[in-house]
Amino acid sequence: MSLNDESTHILISQQAAQRLAATINRRRFLAIGGGVAAAAALAACGGSSGGSGSKSKNINMFTWAEYDDPDLLKSWGNISLTIFNSNEEAIQKLVQGGGSSGFDMVVPTGAYIPQLVKSGLLAELDKTKIPNFSNLDSHYTNQSWDPDNKHSVCKNWGTTGWIYDTTVVKTEIKTWADFIKVAQTEASGKTSVIDATPDLCGIYFWANGIDWTTEKTEDLDACEKFLVNELASHIKAFDSYPGVNLTSGSYALSQVFNGDARQGLLGIKAAGQDPARYKWGIGSPTTELWMDNWCILKGAKNVDASYDFINFILDPKNSVKDLNFHGYNTGIKGVSDLAGSIEFKDMVFFTDAQVATMKPGAVNSAQDRLVKIYSNVKAKAGG
Amino acid sequence: MTATLGTQPSQQRTWLRAPKFLLAIPSFVWYVFLFAVPVALVVVNSFGRKVAGTPGKVDLSSPSLDRYHEVISGSFRSLLKQTMFTSILGTVLCLVISLPVAYFLAFKVGPKAKTAVLALLMVPFFVNFLLRTLAWRIVLQPQGFVSNFLQSGHWFTFGLALRNGPIQILDTRAAVQLAIVYNYLPLMIFPLWVALDRVELHLREASKDLGANRLRTLLQVTLPLAGPGIVAGLILVFVPLSGDYVTAALLGGAKGNMIGAEVANQYFKAQDAASGSAIAVSLIISILLVLGVIAACFWLMARIRRRARAVQLVQR
Repeated sequence: MSLNDESTHILISQQAAQRLAATINRRRFLAIGGGVAAAAALAACGGSSGGSGSKSKNINMFTWAEYDDPDLLKSWGNISLTIFNSNEEAIQKLVQGGGSSGFDMVVPTGAYIPQLVKSGLLAELDKTKIPNFSNLDSHYTNQSWDPDNKHSVCKNWGTTGWIYDTTVVKTEIKTWADFIKVAQTEASGKTSVIDATPDLCGIYFWANGIDWTTEKTEDLDACEKFLVNELASHIKAFDSYPGVNLTSGSYALSQVFNGDARQGLLGIKAAGQDPARYKWGIGSPTTELWMDNWCILKGAKNVDASYDFINFILDPKNSVKDLNFHGYNTGIKGVSDLAGSIEFKDMVFFTDAQVATMKPGAVNSAQDRLVKIYSNVKAKAGG
Repeated sequence: MTATLGTQPSQQRTWLRAPKFLLAIPSFVWYVFLFAVPVALVVVNSFGRKVAGTPGKVDLSSPSLDRYHEVISGSFRSLLKQTMFTSILGTVLCLVISLPVAYFLAFKVGPKAKTAVLALLMVPFFVNFLLRTLAWRIVLQPQGFVSNFLQSGHWFTFGLALRNGPIQILDTRAAVQLAIVYNYLPLMIFPLWVALDRVELHLREASKDLGANRLRTLLQVTLPLAGPGIVAGLILVFVPLSGDYVTAALLGGAKGNMIGAEVANQYFKAQDAASGSAIAVSLIISILLVLGVIAACFWLMARIRRRARAVQLVQR
């Protein structure tokens, strides 16, 4: 892991850079730095950020942190990445940019695509320009939130679970209810949760057998009451990428996306420590299934380049490289076989029985309320 | 006025001369459009409510104080209190730490060394704010070198060795407090130094000649004369510190959260400009209240001091 990245350059000695890369949460830096950069890009109103001509291989992409293999991107062309922390944040920034945000592509989670479409932010895709679209497994096309893939193409999908330090947490965590119990006791004040509304509220719904797309007021009330009064005070950090923090020993228990957990364990191994100390588990009895998607923004300056890139990344041999980096299933036919014997493969590919416990989220009438709950939990944790 | 006094040529000059307020126009325009108008919009938005499903839109058709009610009744109130506490403590710590440094700079250092010390004080500014703050994560992390060293039992830890495992400062309010003092210290030292530097040596000498000891000179001559600089330093540190959220976001975790982060959160995550505005306005009001209290304290102190001295003079 190096600090050299498309979007971030810091003047620092090699040794210091290695130390920094090995010990600090780089994502946090990227996320905040990205936020600043995004604001700057918006302030510039896309004036000069488009690059020259549509034939040059330049793309300005608005995406999640640590989500694309830098070498793979470089082998395609010049992609400048700007980072967001949550779908809500991305949408807000794009809306404020008013179609002149200067970004060509955005990588939102499926459930948020209707809102983006409604806000008039996404361009309709011309699939004749993406011949490799046919490489996608039909499980991952034509989703309810974007029928016929009019506006989006699957980038990858994943799920949410936990990872814990067995030297601190002695209880075995098998369900979300166990997660909550451990967070309140052994890992109190050492627990991190994902910094996004649906995942935070999901902990309560999944643990209590409530459909996490519920719109019922009583469910939402109960969720708020529980999270604010009984979980907030035990939370150490709201961190969407606790995986990288594993090496720093910041948390004893983390709610985590599977790919991030895998990257964390790989980091532990690279640092010469024993990954067996940490235990990963898929959320149970039910948990999340999310899918992030390639989308082209309306008013993009580099439309042809964007199509070219999507087509490039849907090529199985590129897709496998990408998968190896971020640790999420890219939904390409036969990608599991192509991946071969990669490390922690069970954290990338799941059995049918496991997939059956995962359910996609939805952006519905409960959204505003969920955001309020999330804000109140955050305020309570700090107050 | 010049016109009545002037002869022919000077009258011509007056006629050619542009009105003086022209000089102020650039900054005036700047402040009106980039400060006054946006702040006014924030205040207006705080009376509205979020339009469901449309990010960032505020419905102002039925203005109300509901958003403020949410701030006062919800969890935000305690967070606002915590933020004010952190800010006040941070400002006081900055003042206590800066005063000796500024005094030393103003009175005890020769001109050559002064340049060197000032340059040293500037050094941290050459490093990006984000990176400076982020570097603290390395220092403070539970499995970092400081923590490991303190646990090692090395004689150099002077028996302060940690017996209860790694230090747990990162992602707490203590980490934010530490880093905030570090980040805002120069903003306190510079105005204090300038203020102390302008206290005339003659006055301090006169105080000594009249029989005051060093402490009395400091308390009754130097510090009162530097008063405006101290107030400037307090304001320069306290106001931005209260609204700081980068430090809290980087080092505070869940426990060290500050209200500034909640404002950003409302705007960016909740897509609720109305609530964000209400929290922002509440923060502004809180800052003004605290400044008001400080001003009242200063006024009261000055009054008491004056009265005490008057009595002394009569007695002698």
